Amino acid sequence: MSVLADKHTRVLVQGITGVQASFHVKRSIDNGTNVVAGTSLQRTPNEYLGVPVFGNVAEAVKNMPIDASVMFVPAKAVKYAVREAVESEIKLIVSITQGVPVHDMLEIKAMLKGSKTMMIGPNTPGLITPGEARLGIFPENIHRKGCIGIISRASTLTYEGVLEINEAGLGQSTVVGLGDDMIVGTDYRELMTLFMADDETKAVVMIGKADNVYEQMAAEHYAMMENKKPVVAFVAGESLPFGATMGYAEDIITHGLSTIQDKKKVMAQSGMIVVDRMSQIHEALADLQLK
Amino acid sequence: MNIHEYQAKQILAQYGIIVPNGGIAYTAAEAKRVAQHISPRGPWMLKAQIQAGARHSGHFVGNSTAPKGGIRLVTQIRNLSYEAAQMLNNTLITEQTGPKGKLVSKVYVEAYKQVKHLFYAGMIIDSSLPAITLLISDVIDQDILKIADIRRERILRLPLAYDKPIADEQIKQILDFLLLDKNYDEGFRDFLNKLRITFINLDAQMIEINPVGIMRNKKLIALDAKINFDDNAMFRHPDILRMQDDYEEDPRCLQAQRHGFHYSEFDGNIGCIVNGDGLALEAMDVIKSKGMRAACALNVKGGVDKDRIASGIKLIMTNPRVEGVLINILGGFLRCNLVADGILAATQEVGLNVPIVVRLEGTNKEEARIILQEAKLPIIFADNTNDAIDKLIAEMEVND
Repeated sequence: MSVLADKHTRVLVQGITGVQASFHVKRSIDNGTNVVAGTSLQRTPNEYLGVPVFGNVAEAVKNMPIDASVMFVPAKAVKYAVREAVESEIKLIVSITQGVPVHDMLEIKAMLKGSKTMMIGPNTPGLITPGEARLGIFPENIHRKGCIGIISRASTLTYEGVLEINEAGLGQSTVVGLGDDMIVGTDYRELMTLFMADDETKAVVMIGKADNVYEQMAAEHYAMMENKKPVVAFVAGESLPFGATMGYAEDIITHGLSTIQDKKKVMAQSGMIVVDRMSQIHEALADLQLK
Repeated sequence: MNIHEYQAKQILAQYGIIVPNGGIAYTAAEAKRVAQHISPRGPWMLKAQIQAGARHSGHFVGNSTAPKGGIRLVTQIRNLSYEAAQMLNNTLITEQTGPKGKLVSKVYVEAYKQVKHLFYAGMIIDSSLPAITLLISDVIDQDILKIADIRRERILRLPLAYDKPIADEQIKQILDFLLLDKNYDEGFRDFLNKLRITFINLDAQMIEINPVGIMRNKKLIALDAKINFDDNAMFRHPDILRMQDDYEEDPRCLQAQRHGFHYSEFDGNIGCIVNGDGLALEAMDVIKSKGMRAACALNVKGGVDKDRIASGIKLIMTNPRVEGVLINILGGFLRCNLVADGILAATQEVGLNVPIVVRLEGTNKEEARIILQEAKLPIIFADNTNDAIDKLIAEMEVND
């Protein structure tokens, strides 16, 4: 098992004929991903990378069963791409695009509410179940199949997390990048629930950032969970001068002043194993003696 | 992206919000002409146009004997040119400008407006909900962050429905909070809904009106205005993009922005080029743990051609603080070979005068390593972040 996607997941690629999409979709297919169709606004060619190409999501869904969609569309088109997928009731969508306007995300969150669709991203490397499904742009050459799940809010730092797991002599069940943005489709909590229910996953690595309160929300959720598996957590940004990044003003005004130390404290109190350095993750995992 | 107060007020006025009569002036003589035009008898408010708060309690460089801030009430027309001249072409230091201050190149002259009450109104996006959130406070003329920190109970926070005007009970809550009776209902409803429309239509991330005045006729007037826009949405607003004042921005930040990169400066001497915010934060954390500090961090995430990567590297080289460069790339979308090509292009153009340590991992990493090795540049390779920073610090010590 794994979470969200495996080798049976039938994947649609929205915007399949773009330069970046072509490069990464080919890699995904070579990596075992079950890509079944694509969409392209130009609708040409009829077939691309060995799969049929449709003019829109509804048309694709009419022609074949689809479980998930990966979107390679420009930032300004993301909300329209999401709307198509939501209207066609696609269960899982992954948006790679960076630079999606925050007001578009408010609109997207309203669309997702009460829908059948779960959105990962935007601004994420996507998700990968090693050797089975690569929905996004993860460098597949660093991944190894195994029993550790990753949930990360720091795109490229996720790859460091993967390398840490490898160094502990373990591998990944599924790796999920939530997205680096201020507002993301899905936060830690839903993923945590999925990982805790997954037979293959024995522990979860969580990679967070100093801004926003997503980690606090995750800690609250984790503290309340029954059937917990260990969570090794890292938060980047302790050297940052306070208030140096964007997003802070909003956080402080709405949630009160909290430092990264406060954030880590809340996480530790919830039962997570909080490490100070990325490079300590492999030791923390080794200590769990999962093998 | 930020704009000046006078520009923010022009925008609010377009959306039907009442603002005082005013005009912008670049010279003292012009300030006087504007003043006479907008209000023959006065009094007038003179407001230095810099993009930083706490102007009122600030002071001008070289004028510490008679400290007067960047916002002044002028009652006699004969004093107006003199007061304007004190501000123009002088540097204003406030709590938010940092010790260097900001040069005042224009002043906004406004007709002084007498009001009955004052309060603070702000609008932001609370990402945890997520929702546009209205903030109301009875503490005025202070930094909202300070109030949020020490007097939290003095801020009323109301998440707004995504697609509906502000609810009746929320208007009532606001009036109760400010100890006002229901006669003020109409004025508040009108003002706050116009503010909400402005926020949504213009892709704002933050609007602050500090303070809002309540006039005798119970209508509300924006006595100050600050709007911050979402950079990612500026493609929808070319008219607002044109309002950007290049003199307000750090030239290197501006340059990075033009290449689509995010760049920030700190007080150390290691220049970091990374792809991803988290990676930047982690690199800076590790650098600090080894007793050094970062000079700057350039996030080239999403850079997909070598020319843009090369411009990024050149940008870092123009920062005089930088004595060593860490290039830490974990390629997924960004392919390592493009980074290698970018490093070559940049070094061929500007040379290599500081040590560079490169750590490349992920997509096309082998190709990248071959490109850099064949170029025979004095580049040091590293296997992970820790290793890279150790090697860089060692090399910087040799260079000393």
